[in-house]
Amino acid sequence: MMHELYGFLRGPMLWVALLVFFGGSGYRVAAMWRLARKKDAVIFNYSSGYYALRSIFHWLLPFGSRNMRNHPVMTVVAFVFHICLFLVPLFLSAHIILIKESWNVSWPWLPDHAADAMTWMVVAGCGFFAARRIIQPDVRYLTSTSDYLILAAIAVPFVSGTWAFHQWPAFPAATLVHMASAEILLMIIPFTRLSHMLFFPFTRGYMGSEFGAVRKARDW
Amino acid sequence: MIKHKLSYRKQKIFSGVAVFVFFLLILALRAFSTDYIETVDDPAFEKRIRPAVVFYHDDHNDRAGIDDCSVCHHVYENGIKTADMSVGMACSDCHMSGPAAAPDLIRVYHLQCRGCHLSEQAGPVTCGGCHKK
Repeated sequence: MMHELYGFLRGPMLWVALLVFFGGSGYRVAAMWRLARKKDAVIFNYSSGYYALRSIFHWLLPFGSRNMRNHPVMTVVAFVFHICLFLVPLFLSAHIILIKESWNVSWPWLPDHAADAMTWMVVAGCGFFAARRIIQPDVRYLTSTSDYLILAAIAVPFVSGTWAFHQWPAFPAATLVHMASAEILLMIIPFTRLSHMLFFPFTRGYMGSEFGAVRKARDW
Repeated sequence: MIKHKLSYRKQKIFSGVAVFVFFLLILALRAFSTDYIETVDDPAFEKRIRPAVVFYHDDHNDRAGIDDCSVCHHVYENGIKTADMSVGMACSDCHMSGPAAAPDLIRVYHLQCRGCHLSEQAGPVTCGGCHKK
């Protein structure tokens, strides 16, 4: 049972997850592009690479926008959360070894204790965002059940991953939960609010173009 | 007369020492015997990122029914496995192309151990299954 599940999650299911993630992402961006061409064609007249990149740059910079300076706690948590969210899976020794086994390529990895600390920062970030959705009235107004499910979808692969790393009770099962939940997370990215990962440069670029080229103002 | 017989107290001490020496001998034999392997503790790894794998060589091969040493201690020629065996050679002699090539060696260990465990549907396959803390 263990061997079949492991083989399935490591083999065919991983390919399905990668295909849905990359294929779904490409589809979502292309569909959105077509929709914008149809319903909002005017933006293509003033879209500007310079103003778009200027806006993207300021919003990628910690405290680079007025909104971030007005909400320092949210800014710090959001930046730490997103940085750890990307660095841990891509630079974890155990992941790099698995990729080395499959494709014979490797790159430097993070020390395991650092990756573990960063994992808990991701989990703590999920807790912070959930609490924020409950406590802050304006955010609660915009919150639906799926927003909590999305936070759980992120927390589960991280908790189960560190569970497997520390070899806490029933860690072989935790390893399987880790693999399955991470594959689910990859597959839901293009089709949920997590798609801000794909649309961020476009929404920011759109705002930057309009504010820069039309209103002659900053949007950060 | 029971003059030459050892006292009960001395008898107890002697038998105690005898049992102790016996176990010491067994331990010494196990420690010095070359084929009693308990871990995969390859000295080619300068820096360990996981605990060494617990591996009872003889017990493993008894349970797995492996008699042919070349199943693991293999020799490849032009990509084809020969009947020769590489017993006595370090894995790193062939499988480590440079000093910074630890991932190369890790890779072949994992492919060999877990690869077989998967195809035989027996033995651990997760990270912690072998690298026990």
